[in-house]
Amino acid sequence: MTGFLHVSPADLATVGPETFLCVLGIALVLLDAFARSLRPAFPYITLAGVAAANFLGGYAPGSAFAGAIEGSELTRFVDLLALAAVALATLGADALLSRDKRNQGEFYALLLWSAAGLMLMVKGNDLLVVFIGLEMMSIALYVMAAWYRDVPEATEAGMKYFLMGAFASTFFLYGLATVYGRLGSTRLTTLKGALANGEGFSDPMLQIGLLAILSALAFKIALVPFHAWAPDVYQGMTTPAVAFLSTAPKAAAVVVAIKVLSTLAPAGLGEPWRPLLSILAILSILFGNIVALAQRDLKRMLAYSGIAQMGYVAIGLATFDGAAFEGTLVFLAGYLATNVAAFLAVAALSNGEKEPHPLADLAGMGRQRPFAASVLTLAMLSLTGLPPTVGFIGKLLVFRAAVDAGLFTLALVGIFGSLVSAGYYLRVVYYLWMKEPSREVAAPQEDVLSGAAYILLTAAILVLGVLPRPLLDMARAAVQSLPR
Amino acid sequence: MLDSSTSIQWLGADILTTLVFLPSLGALVLLFLSNEAKNAIRAVGLLASGATFAVSVAVLQKFNPAIAGLEAFRPLLVDRPWIPRFGIRYLMGVDGLSLVLVVLTTLLTLLVLVFSFGQSIPKLRGYVAAFLILETGMIGSLVALDAILFYVFWEVMLVPMYFIIGIWGGKRRIYATMKFVLFTLAGSLLMFVGILFASGVHARTTGILTFSLLEWIPAASSGVWGLTGTQEALLFWAFALAFLVKVPLWPLHTWLPDAHVEAPTGGSIILAGVLLKLGTYGLLRFAIPLFPGAAVRYTPLIAVLALIGVVYGAWVAAAQKDMKKLVAYSSVSHLALVVLGIFAGNVTAVSGAVMQMVGHGLTTGLLFLLVGVLYERRHTREMADYGGIASQVPVTTTLFVIAMLGSVGLPGLNGFVGEFLILAGVFKANVVWAAIAATGLILGAIYLLTLTQKVFWGPNRVKANLGLTDINAWEFAAAFPMIVLVVVLGVWPQPVLDLVRNSVETVVQIAAVRMVP
Repeated sequence: MTGFLHVSPADLATVGPETFLCVLGIALVLLDAFARSLRPAFPYITLAGVAAANFLGGYAPGSAFAGAIEGSELTRFVDLLALAAVALATLGADALLSRDKRNQGEFYALLLWSAAGLMLMVKGNDLLVVFIGLEMMSIALYVMAAWYRDVPEATEAGMKYFLMGAFASTFFLYGLATVYGRLGSTRLTTLKGALANGEGFSDPMLQIGLLAILSALAFKIALVPFHAWAPDVYQGMTTPAVAFLSTAPKAAAVVVAIKVLSTLAPAGLGEPWRPLLSILAILSILFGNIVALAQRDLKRMLAYSGIAQMGYVAIGLATFDGAAFEGTLVFLAGYLATNVAAFLAVAALSNGEKEPHPLADLAGMGRQRPFAASVLTLAMLSLTGLPPTVGFIGKLLVFRAAVDAGLFTLALVGIFGSLVSAGYYLRVVYYLWMKEPSREVAAPQEDVLSGAAYILLTAAILVLGVLPRPLLDMARAAVQSLPR
Repeated sequence: MLDSSTSIQWLGADILTTLVFLPSLGALVLLFLSNEAKNAIRAVGLLASGATFAVSVAVLQKFNPAIAGLEAFRPLLVDRPWIPRFGIRYLMGVDGLSLVLVVLTTLLTLLVLVFSFGQSIPKLRGYVAAFLILETGMIGSLVALDAILFYVFWEVMLVPMYFIIGIWGGKRRIYATMKFVLFTLAGSLLMFVGILFASGVHARTTGILTFSLLEWIPAASSGVWGLTGTQEALLFWAFALAFLVKVPLWPLHTWLPDAHVEAPTGGSIILAGVLLKLGTYGLLRFAIPLFPGAAVRYTPLIAVLALIGVVYGAWVAAAQKDMKKLVAYSSVSHLALVVLGIFAGNVTAVSGAVMQMVGHGLTTGLLFLLVGVLYERRHTREMADYGGIASQVPVTTTLFVIAMLGSVGLPGLNGFVGEFLILAGVFKANVVWAAIAATGLILGAIYLLTLTQKVFWGPNRVKANLGLTDINAWEFAAAFPMIVLVVVLGVWPQPVLDLVRNSVETVVQIAAVRMVP
């Protein structure tokens, strides 16, 4: 074993984007402390940093740090999602944070650190590295949840997310320890070899370990019954930060789940994992959609909708074949564009971050804020899964894979969920365009950065909905790079 | 600048793409106009829908109705990979059946926009844009030959209609539009799973991953698809339910009266004129040719539902006091007759059904239009609020009487041809069905004549009606072409019958002629 201490330039290049994002985050914090007048420039610095990190991420795939970290098309895919989410959240956050004088460098630094953590987590080929990435991502998010620390809901969100997240982390560690205790390694490739050498996957110790690891990931994804934190955190957290929280970290956790499962279950998903994931999917879809129907607060509604949407992702996991993984990745990318669009528009149409976000506030906004209202409408249609949006493409691929694998119950539950979801997604559209305004907004203006975000997101939702081939090709390459 | 030969070739090879997306292009242009620029909005609306109509006529001229079977699609076929990984293609083509309905669609959309310019419509820009996007969805559904592409266009129709009813509708518009969306979506999502399953089975048995009807239909009729009886039955119902909700067949019809009553006039015209026909079109294009065995097996059940629909729709229509509700329920009755004709399974009845799809689109569209003319002036649709207005509004009255007689099925007008052929065909299939269906038609004559009598004739008892103004130029310009077609296609229906004959024969042959036990 060459060990960690021997580090080659190639190793460093593999974690180039993460390192760069971390350093940039530190620089932003220092700039905020010593050059406060630069604050208006922070979003631009962040955007430039994201672009640079994306450039640094264009390395040749391969394993590094003696196999503890592995870059592949798959990690590249997640890198892109994470960087896109950071960029879009930054675009949407600036106007809002500047208005409330909360545009400290730490906000952008936390975003960058969280993104770096989740990128590292996906690259981890060793469960310990995965854990480090997971914690780095999560701790930054805990802090961001309580960004408006004088708002009681925000502190509540921060505390709740932290306590429950810490609990989930211990689950992950417990699972990791159990797996190590049984097989003597935390390296995924070694584990795979050990299993192939006759160590039964049916071993109860291993099953408990894997169950604990999957529970921790399900917590991050917010699948029922690990969802309880989501509505409160969504409600209390700064809205553009929720746009990030609800998309990229979930995508990363799903990809880690895919990696772990396909390493430890190379021969396909047998008992009890497929029934277990199916149950998670069904519960999430039914519970999320039905409870969302009863919500009158936009962000809570979107939280429950997110639980339901991740239920569709769980269908992809339960189906567990190449086509299903491709569908899952496409779904996650589409969900990212759609959900970020939804949250940025909600932020733009609300009375401010310190106020609640009741659905009724949207009344008549179609006339007063047509730009933001159109983006929100498009996001709702895409979340419903109506063509020609990217939301439809994601559902098409996931359902196709499920039907192809003979999982009709999952497909039918998914269809039923989509029908129910039309009830509350279209209610948003109804408030925007068909209800008389309850309040007058004083000549609001869309700021340039949000405008850019809207245009990018609208284009992504529609163009990828009509011409999904580039996205599909990327997802396919990503899935093919999975260890087989 | 393109040289003329390439541009003509482009138009020739991809004329269907032009046809489908021209209206959306208009909608896109509207995005850049101010809501106040009413004349510019009208001009864009007219230009886009007029050009689309012109293109559809050009397609009609290029089309060769003499080619039989699936080969009919070949000359104008557009075939490109769309999502090749999953065998999904951008595949579009027309045969006589889809072409008739495409021309009906482009004509009605144009006329609806013309009509709306004669009325005071708030938020005109959004209104026109919604109809143009709807037109793309409708034409796309009619020309798509790839099941996924079809599903995409099918759902694209949903959103503009949701807005049309929800924004420009009457008092209970939100309830009506949600009901419309949820009913339609419930049906279409089921069909979506059906489409995915059908392609999965096809891929396993034939080794070809495709959603193309041009592959599926031969596979279905030759038996290489290898569906078991249960699979075929489930798939048939997954498709048929989506279409029967749209038709709508009793007992799936309850969304229709709400949607019709609350929709603005233009929405009602398109709903009755085109959207309902897409349900019967779907039966002819998908449900029956793809799953003929199940179609034959469930023909008695569907026929019974259709017969109930014919009589029930007419019966309920006769009890209505609201003019629009009456016309809506008459649609339930008339479309049930079309479904009966389709499932009678002989060339006569199916031709009649197609003829009646066109005829109903024109006459019911006209009735909704003229009720809309009265509503615009008096803001009521209660028959009791009218009476004896024939002398005030002679032109409206004349048009209404012609449309009404066409709907009743008076010989010499268009409705007669369809109804006669359907009944003649159904009679061949099953005498009892024909007898019951005929009573529905008699009821139809009663309620439509009563409606006309109550509204237009008799003493003028309501003072508010004294100042009633007659149909204006825009409204008349919209109604007149439809009246002309009602008369012309009544006297000389042969061109339409010739156009659709091969399509109809193909469907009937696939269904093994013996659809009726």
